[in-house]
Amino acid sequence: MTQSLVDRHDVELAALAAAGGRREFGELVRRHGSAVRGLLRRMGAQPSLADDIAQDAFIQAFERCAEFRGEGTFAAWVKRIAARLYIKRVAKEARYVAEVENEDAAPATDHAGLVDLDEALKVLSEPERLCVSLCHGAGMAHPEIAAALNLPLGTVKSHVKRGLDKLRARLQPTGQPLGSAQHVG
Amino acid sequence: MSADEFDPEIERLFARSPQMPDAALFTAQVEQKLQKGSHVRVLALGLAGVIGGVVAVRETMSVNMGSGEGVVAGNALGQGIRSVSFNAQDAVQTGLDQLGLANLELGSMGGMQMFWIAAGALIALAAAGVMKLSQDM
Repeated sequence: MTQSLVDRHDVELAALAAAGGRREFGELVRRHGSAVRGLLRRMGAQPSLADDIAQDAFIQAFERCAEFRGEGTFAAWVKRIAARLYIKRVAKEARYVAEVENEDAAPATDHAGLVDLDEALKVLSEPERLCVSLCHGAGMAHPEIAAALNLPLGTVKSHVKRGLDKLRARLQPTGQPLGSAQHVG
Repeated sequence: MSADEFDPEIERLFARSPQMPDAALFTAQVEQKLQKGSHVRVLALGLAGVIGGVVAVRETMSVNMGSGEGVVAGNALGQGIRSVSFNAQDAVQTGLDQLGLANLELGSMGGMQMFWIAAGALIALAAAGVMKLSQDM
């Protein structure tokens, strides 16, 4: 009996996609599309841009599927492709080098229970948001981010640290467990 | 919460993504793009194959014609291909004339010259493709 697509593991689907299986790859897109789009939005991309980049990332992933060995998760692999495409896009605009501080935009921490990661990320400046998302969302190491953004390593570390400090301050006082908003894997 | 506890918690939050309401539409758009890309690739490969095949047959036939060992059917086919080839050559020559390169006589070029020109063009195309790919990475 033929195993249905939904029962197959990502690695198995990726192997079939590498052999040209578009249906199998479609299943991978169905499983991880929202995660990739979500990460791009968290990095600061507008929804339409995030969707465009996510589509390009999946197209690239399909063409390079044979390179995916299953060492990490498929979602993490596509997220890194998407993150790099987004970096390339913002690098053209040189947005991330601007040291824009966004302290005034920090919302009060008094609406307990309503705070989730997406809301909390809005408190961060653009470079902080990008660096924190690349580090904790796309799983990139600090030196890797520094190289991709063409920034000094110390600057990247500083963006990540300040970003996390702001997130900690934003998320902690709620008294709610982190991630209380409804999410799916 | 200490920094040690906070960082993994942040990673867990990042790992959880809300399911987008238009997820099905997004999947369909990616599948459509893949389908389109596949058609373009098949078309390009098919076209390249046809051109390569015509050139190969023409070269084979002209070798046979030149040695006087061709059969009647081969002659007819060879003349047909030659005619098509000369027509294409005329069209290219007209284009070159318009570009002010009238001195470049394609007809006067030998087989090896044409081969190297075609090889050079293919290498240039391949280099452009590699550059485009590296920019996309």
